[in-house]
Amino acid sequence: MFTCKESVDLLLQFLDGEMPEEEARHLEEHLQACPPCVDFLRTYRATPVLCKRALSQQMPQELADRLTQFLRQKCRK
Amino acid sequence: MADQVQVAAEDESGDRRLLEQAQAGDMSAFEALVERHRDKVYGLALRMTRSDADAGEITQDTFLSAYQHLSEFRGEAAFGSWVHRIAANNALMRLRHRHVVQAAEEEMKSPEFNERGSFAEYPATDWSRRADEKVLDDELRRAIMQATDHLPEGYREVFLLKDVEGLSYEQISEVTGDSVPAIKSRLHRARLALREAIDRFYNEDLKR
Repeated sequence: MFTCKESVDLLLQFLDGEMPEEEARHLEEHLQACPPCVDFLRTYRATPVLCKRALSQQMPQELADRLTQFLRQKCRK
Repeated sequence: MADQVQVAAEDESGDRRLLEQAQAGDMSAFEALVERHRDKVYGLALRMTRSDADAGEITQDTFLSAYQHLSEFRGEAAFGSWVHRIAANNALMRLRHRHVVQAAEEEMKSPEFNERGSFAEYPATDWSRRADEKVLDDELRRAIMQATDHLPEGYREVFLLKDVEGLSYEQISEVTGDSVPAIKSRLHRARLALREAIDRFYNEDLKR
């Protein structure tokens, strides 16, 4: 059976669904017996979701207006 | 989730319609496409370069380049991922001409294990459900921005392109010139470092 360290190393592959069947079974066995790894998996999976929300950015209106002017000028040439 | 999928599909079909009009010479349709995608392009450029000025210029260059190559775009991919790839290329070119002090790989945080390969510390709180909360805490947003900015460049770009912009591993490989296994390895380390940063935020929050 995998250790926690080995399980953590395999999480990306596991979540991408690209793990060979046997390894996935070993990992699932470890997860069934290891609550810290289950919590870790949940937070690892939530990380990109939270980051994507935190990093969404609105272009400042002044820059957006400048972009429109720039494109009108360049694209009509 | 089903709602998000539906919105994405509607966005894509709206993009396709606007793209056809823009390809036929309708400038207002092109401007509508720019308006739909400028925030994401600007956000990607800003997070990659960490410079307002560079991000503004990259956004301009990206949409100008998209306009100049509109007739070549066949629509096999979504317009959004096409412009994000152009933006990522532009940002990478700028970064490679810039000599900045890099955060060291060794400084990237990851979980600690004991000699038996078990967690050295039991994770104190499962904050995964907070990802679905409607309002994102401003302090958490700042902590995530800081942690992202602190990632070494090659890790930050892969994380932004995959997890924030939604490019595939193959598309990222085309943009960066790196192999897919190398990209996956960096993505995993970047996620671990960002997970640690969020974990610290929630655990410190508990102590207050």
